[in-house]
Amino acid sequence: MRTAADMEYGERCIISEVDSAHPSSRRILEIGFTPGQEIELINKSIFNDPLAFSLRGTLIAIRRNEAGCIKLA
Amino acid sequence: MNEQVIEKTSLITLVGPPNSGKTTLFNYLSGQNFKTVNYPGATVEYSICKLLGKFNLNANILDSPGIISLIPNSPDEKVAVESLYCHPQLGIPDIIIVTVDASQISRHLFLVKQLIEANFRVLIALTMTDMLQKKGLHISEKELGRELGCPVVKIDGRTGFGVNELIVQAEQSIEKSQREIIKQPIIFNENIDKQRLIKIYNEIAEIEKKVIHETITPRKIEAANKKLKIFNEPIGKQNRNSIDYTTLRIDRFLLHKVWGLVFFFIIMAVTFTSIFWLAQPIMHFIDESFGYLAKAVHDSIGVPWIGDLLSSGIISGMGSVLVFIPQITILFLILGILEDTGYLARGAMLIDKPLSKIGLNGKSFVPMLSGFACAIPAMLAARTITNKKERYLTIFIIPLMSCSARIPVYALLMAFLFPPEKAWIGGLMLAGVYIFSIVSSVIIAGIINKFSARIIKAQDNSSFILELPSYRVPKLRVVLTNTYYSVKVYLKKAGPIIFFLSIIIWGITYFPNSSPKVDTNNLNKEEIGQLERAERLSGSYASHLGKIIQPVMSPIGMDWRVGVSLISAFAAREVFVSSLALIFKVTGNNASIQSSIVEAMRKAEIGNTGRKLFTPATICGLIIFFMFSLQCISTIAVSRKETGSWRIPILQVIIFTSFGYFMTFITVNGLRAVGIN
Ligand SMILES: Nc1nc2c(ncn2[C@@H]2O[C@H](COP(=O)(O)OP(=O)(O)OP(=O)(O)O)[C@@H](O)[C@H]2O)c(=O)[nH]1
Ligand SMILES: [Mg+2]
Repeated sequence: MRTAADMEYGERCIISEVDSAHPSSRRILEIGFTPGQEIELINKSIFNDPLAFSLRGTLIAIRRNEAGCIKLA
Repeated sequence: MNEQVIEKTSLITLVGPPNSGKTTLFNYLSGQNFKTVNYPGATVEYSICKLLGKFNLNANILDSPGIISLIPNSPDEKVAVESLYCHPQLGIPDIIIVTVDASQISRHLFLVKQLIEANFRVLIALTMTDMLQKKGLHISEKELGRELGCPVVKIDGRTGFGVNELIVQAEQSIEKSQREIIKQPIIFNENIDKQRLIKIYNEIAEIEKKVIHETITPRKIEAANKKLKIFNEPIGKQNRNSIDYTTLRIDRFLLHKVWGLVFFFIIMAVTFTSIFWLAQPIMHFIDESFGYLAKAVHDSIGVPWIGDLLSSGIISGMGSVLVFIPQITILFLILGILEDTGYLARGAMLIDKPLSKIGLNGKSFVPMLSGFACAIPAMLAARTITNKKERYLTIFIIPLMSCSARIPVYALLMAFLFPPEKAWIGGLMLAGVYIFSIVSSVIIAGIINKFSARIIKAQDNSSFILELPSYRVPKLRVVLTNTYYSVKVYLKKAGPIIFFLSIIIWGITYFPNSSPKVDTNNLNKEEIGQLERAERLSGSYASHLGKIIQPVMSPIGMDWRVGVSLISAFAAREVFVSSLALIFKVTGNNASIQSSIVEAMRKAEIGNTGRKLFTPATICGLIIFFMFSLQCISTIAVSRKETGSWRIPILQVIIFTSFGYFMTFITVNGLRAVGIN
């Protein structure tokens, strides 16, 4: 299954689920990465990590590893 | 009985998501000047202040660090959540003012909902409505209030707009609260149901649809279209939850894999080079004023020892350090501009991956950068780091960042190495010193990380989740006031220490042999003066003390006079400069203090050997020593407080100071070996 870590520049996707086994999953939900929400990959840092997503009108940077727990529809 | 005593002082607590304008509002309400910065995580400690009299409400107001939810993830969030549930002195707040960024309500209402659910009495202050307007949107505070069941007021803490209405609302809520029974707030814990979080967000989506409207007037569209042309914005892309287009454009460059990094290094290099050369003209002026003053005082006071105390002890001692205030101001100014643009969060993101390789975190970037101003706030700033081990490691290496107290020392030593006509070389060298300090701290962090199981005992999930705020043109007034207060705090902290130590050092170098007998045959007045000074110093308390430390100083090519200055620098690093000024007695002959210290340093010899004390080798050695050794008592105390034990601060002192000594030894003897002396 694709996750937010696999997204390409400028791609927009809908979140289907956040893997609750990941230790950061609660914070990721709290910050607004919720199922049904659209996200867009805006930037990747050097070494492609962290990734910056456009989420609810804000840019949020998260690590690639953490983006891996955001499953896409 | 006094009425004010009877009347209860209410407690209003300000909470809100990071970067939502809490501190800006707090400053307006309390007349304080805490730092407000365009970076999520600027405030890391709560502060309490009385509401200004003009608001006619007897209340204390508490500012807290930004939080995302009521379940804290890092020490700064913990401070905020604890101040809500159980403030040690003030108890539970009467009401809570939540700042909500109007342009981000879809995320910021989450905390509001949680607070209401937890039974807190909430009043919403909608900030940044100007930003929302720029997106061509409008928010109805009435509808929002109805949907949430709590009062909502639009404010701008920078101008004071809406603040009076906010206070009126607050007063009403407090009165209401006194009539009702207080419900005990519910505490949420880590095991919170995730479905519940998702449900809150779905509710917010509904609310958002109802309260946000487009402001469609033909004129605005025209204006907006104009803007679109400037930035080539694809028309129709703008929707409610789109990011400010300018920000995206800038980020395309600044977060670029190659250019982003290039820009990052240019910013750093320009910052540190400009500290040196921009300050030169002002420094000269201050320097000469003090020199003139010292000479005037020396010549006009009849009693020798009082004249000497005032001119050499106090004026030259203080002056030798105050000369560097322009450089420190420029440092604060540049850091302030960087902070207010919104770049810091980008810097943190760019450097997260490399830093995580050596056991640090992208969020270590801001603490490390503020370490260039002062280690103390920098160690506090590390509270935003979630992972304990990464936080401790950040705290561990912060003393290696060249803080502003080291500027006077480096600048003096650079002035010795390079003549004033070549100040730009000094500037480049200073930039080099900064870069070297960053590189060495990174290496040391890497080494410590290898042994971290033994040195830093903590393991946790490592995480980097950071909001990148929209870019803003820094408000000149905000930057200047921030700089002004930073310099003021610097002076307040360093000033008294330098003052008292100057007197003490003057005392131990002047007594007990205050009027030595010298052979005055065939000598002019100036030569007699110099001879007397030398005699006095060699019989002084300082020289007795110096004999003890001489064995430590000899291997690194220095004598006890430098040793005494180094010891006094443990009170504050700047004192090194004022001690040198005092020990080598620089008053009298020259108009400028700095150039007379340099001149005196050039003349100084080791004992009676005829060998020069200060040579390029020993000066480089001193620079190296100051780079590494931990010589600041307040830093040690804060390190103890922030890490909760003596373990880390003691290791810091031992490791850094002995490493500094060792490196100095290698530098001095190495340079000598290759013929540089
Ligand atoms: N445009 C705009 N900017 C604002 C407004 N209020 C505050 N700011 C700016 O927003 C930034 C953040 O403000 P702060 O008061 O430091 O935010 P905070 O909530 O204390 O942030 P943390 O302490 O990091 O949680 C600063 O650069 C302020 O100048 C507002 O109403 N409009
Ligand atoms: Mg704040």
